[in-house]
Amino acid sequence: MEVSMDPLFLAWSYCRRRKFQQCADICTKILQDGPYDQAAWSLKTRALTEIVYIDEVEVDEEGIAEMLLDENSIAQVGQPLLPMTQSGRPITGFVRPSTQSGRPGTMEQAIKTPRTASTAHLTWPSIPKNLIYQGNKILSLQTLFEYIFHHENDIKNALDLAAQATEHAQFKDWWWKVQLGKCYYRLGLYREAEKQFRSALNHQEVVDTYLYLAKVYQRLDQPITALNLFKQGLDHFPGEVTLLTGIARIHEEMNNITSATEYYKDVLKQDNTHVEAIACIGSNHFYTDQPEIALRFYRRLLQMGVYNCQLYNNLGLCCFYAQQYDMTLSSFERALSLVTNDEEQADVWYNIGHVAVGIGDVTLAYQCFKLALAFNNDHAEAYNNLAVLELRKGRVEQSKAFLQTAASLAPHMYEPHFNLSILSEKIGDLQSSYIAAQKSEDAFPEHVDTQQLLKQLREHFAAL
Amino acid sequence: MYFILSGSPIEIAFHFYPWLEAHSDPVAGLNTLSSCMDLADLSGDGENCLVVADLGSSSSGSLGSGMKLKVFRGTSLVSESSLLDLPSGLVAFFMDLNEPRVPALAVASGPCVYVYKNLRPYFKFTLPGLEVDPLEQEVWQQVRLGQIDTVALKDLLEGIRTKSELPLSQRSLRFLSLEPENMEEFVMMHQGQPIRRQTVITCMGTLKKSTADEDGVSCLVIGTESSEVYVLDPEAFIILAKMCVPAPPVVMDVSGQFDVEFRITVACRDGAVYILRRDYDKPKYCVELSSHCVGLVRVGKTVVVGCSDQTLQGFTQKGKRLWSVPLPAPITSMAPMRLSSRGFSGVLVALASCELRLYQDQWVLNTQRTPEPVTALTFGRYGREDGTVVMATQGGAMLVHILRRTASLQKPEGGGPPGAQSVRLNVPKKSQLFVDQTLREREQGPLMHRAFHRDLLRTRLRTAQAYSRALEASTGPSSEQGPVKLHAAVQGLGPNFRLTLYVVNAAALRPITGLSLCMLYDPALYTVAPPLLRLPLLAPGLTYALQTRVTCTGPALCDVIKVCVLQEGRSAPLLTAHINMPLPEAL
Repeated sequence: MEVSMDPLFLAWSYCRRRKFQQCADICTKILQDGPYDQAAWSLKTRALTEIVYIDEVEVDEEGIAEMLLDENSIAQVGQPLLPMTQSGRPITGFVRPSTQSGRPGTMEQAIKTPRTASTAHLTWPSIPKNLIYQGNKILSLQTLFEYIFHHENDIKNALDLAAQATEHAQFKDWWWKVQLGKCYYRLGLYREAEKQFRSALNHQEVVDTYLYLAKVYQRLDQPITALNLFKQGLDHFPGEVTLLTGIARIHEEMNNITSATEYYKDVLKQDNTHVEAIACIGSNHFYTDQPEIALRFYRRLLQMGVYNCQLYNNLGLCCFYAQQYDMTLSSFERALSLVTNDEEQADVWYNIGHVAVGIGDVTLAYQCFKLALAFNNDHAEAYNNLAVLELRKGRVEQSKAFLQTAASLAPHMYEPHFNLSILSEKIGDLQSSYIAAQKSEDAFPEHVDTQQLLKQLREHFAAL
Repeated sequence: MYFILSGSPIEIAFHFYPWLEAHSDPVAGLNTLSSCMDLADLSGDGENCLVVADLGSSSSGSLGSGMKLKVFRGTSLVSESSLLDLPSGLVAFFMDLNEPRVPALAVASGPCVYVYKNLRPYFKFTLPGLEVDPLEQEVWQQVRLGQIDTVALKDLLEGIRTKSELPLSQRSLRFLSLEPENMEEFVMMHQGQPIRRQTVITCMGTLKKSTADEDGVSCLVIGTESSEVYVLDPEAFIILAKMCVPAPPVVMDVSGQFDVEFRITVACRDGAVYILRRDYDKPKYCVELSSHCVGLVRVGKTVVVGCSDQTLQGFTQKGKRLWSVPLPAPITSMAPMRLSSRGFSGVLVALASCELRLYQDQWVLNTQRTPEPVTALTFGRYGREDGTVVMATQGGAMLVHILRRTASLQKPEGGGPPGAQSVRLNVPKKSQLFVDQTLREREQGPLMHRAFHRDLLRTRLRTAQAYSRALEASTGPSSEQGPVKLHAAVQGLGPNFRLTLYVVNAAALRPITGLSLCMLYDPALYTVAPPLLRLPLLAPGLTYALQTRVTCTGPALCDVIKVCVLQEGRSAPLLTAHINMPLPEAL
């Protein structure tokens, strides 16, 4: 006769093996038999929370709405940094908010909408007013809070709960203060959140609290304060990787790539398998014309078991620029076979197009850029390169149209403006040429060729 | 006229003109070179004189007339004495430690150095003779004994001249150049004297013996036509050192002390500059110039050479070229300008275009017009004024310019090479990894090439397949059949969006009619109003913007809306664009 395992133990085991769905299912069954089994309730809550758990610290992408309507930031929104992606590009060092797979547009959305569609719902009566006592009876308060916060995504009630709990603990429990801060942060009450996190830090130095507080400052557009905070945190937790990473990211966002790289190197000294640090240092080497070193970093990632489209794409590009031609195209091929969405595919095709331009195969380049556009209709770089190829074929009008499209899609890139300016100048349309050259100058004030063209045009106008 | 200024004159507005034209004597009748000019305190009263070895009047045709040693003091000529031979160099130097410290003058002419003390001839040093062909000696011996006559002598000497490795002596050459009727007389006159072959001094310099003091005892350094450089002891006039260079020296510059370490930089007639060092009898370094040297000056550690191709070039002491600047005209004369009171050193360059330029390294600090091309110039203390340049011009005039005490000798801000030239390019360091990779490339080149080509063929195939698939599906923003282009923009935060579609007819001339735009979408997620847009006639080159309203009705998900461009009478769309709708961001 088969001896069946104690279902609660089985559920516990599932939970420990991170098979939360099975765990929740078994708990549901137990609760059908005995609805007052506290252990089952607790376990089920925890499993359901874990399913949708997002590391709060890592999630920090602003939606368009927030970017546009944010009154905290002083700097202009949407002013992209200057020519970074002018030629073939490893997409970025690292795609940041990385807890959940798949890109549902913005990460923020993943947090905000209740996840009703796919996950099970705990049937719970509407949260009663006397939460504390009820909560105490059935679940530990912490579990309850996390369930409400993460699974229900009901910040208001979570805040109520946390407020009562912290009051109950006579304002001496750092954990509840951090939770309060998290709720305030979610609700956009950054100053309140700051107060709670500060207070929590007075009770107990915890790395996470530092990270949350730094996040608040970043959202308040105070990167220097955030940096100081991280450094303060490092005094208490020397060599803490998350704090170092935080510093590096702020430097990176402030376009101070050199210092960012220094901090990423510090990170690697502590944790030599830190994917983000490796990827960022690699991309920095690539953009400072040392593709062979970048290659070394990306290969390290490969050895660590990272296996995705971006990595192979970057490997391919680095191989090409480091003249390791035998690995170039095979890497891109593998990248193509690993693509998960159209944008990635477009980027890989674009890079293959770059290789084709490099070896002088215009037909292949043409097809690749066309394919890049087929998968991503807004790929301004591909439009620009296609325009140059069209011009070589002598199709001036076509080329001009492509350049105009590229310029309207990515006004921050100087290349389409500059190319358009040159083209217009060649066909004698000096007025258009001048306007385009001015736009190119706006995008890249130090570009020497643009300056020369402008000078030439001004002389020409003066002569007329 | 008195040009010795007492007290600083008021010159505020004229800082740009550093030279004061103190004295000008157009009829001084000087015909000299920079190497035959020096400034020295010959009377020991602290007032420097100008000493010139005048080459005499060249207008008289023969070189043998009017060669004089002239001494100027202030504005007047105070002393003049004849020279026996054409001078090739003049230096003032201290030959002993006697008080008062009055320098001696050394004038090089022909094979001799004439030393003057207190402007009186004091000593004559003659260079050792060169080896004479024994055959030639033998022939002259026979002439003296009356064994052969002048005709036979001529034949014999001509035979020797063609066969012998050593050149003939001056006397034999002179004899061969005579007309037959003068030969007898010439032989009668010279046959009694022993035959000698003499070299000629080409240039001369001074070298401090053991101390670097201003009035330290100096040795004479002599360059000769026989491609040798001698260092002479100042007291005993014996040869302290003898060095060989590959060609006759033309210009020389000497630095250092003989007993410690010295450098003799000589420009030779083979168009090269050689650098001689102590304890070497051969040149240590050699600089091959692009053209012949016309002037050589040492400024600090830089050797500045003026070349006949109208350039001024700077070299390190080891012969590495530092810079080269083109000049507007040929160089006529050069002199160093060392002003220790202001810590300044530069080069004065006189050009055939009647200019006197002051260079510090490759930068022109000042350009001064002169009435005539300057043939000789020297800079130093004249009278009681430290910063004085004395010039002799082509027409024989003597010019004296004084450097203003307030003159600014700063490098010009905008002068010199453009600033971009000195900006270091941001080229990354060559990494060991890079070197390893190049090694791999070298060793496995063919293998890599083959692999790349195999991959390339595969990629081409794959691309072509993907491309044809894309064409069949008419995806892509511009159709291959027609020149219509489409791109879209989505505006709004949701749930209401405005979809703007930009349509361009990229054909050169032909307008297009009968097109419409059709939106394909998931009705569970979106409503689009209107879902079909008729396009007007598309004129070539213009952008048509069409708008439609998209409302997100379903759950907050993002989806793709396809936009097809349709043409009347065709079943397949001309082109299709996929628009990734953003998530509605309900606040």
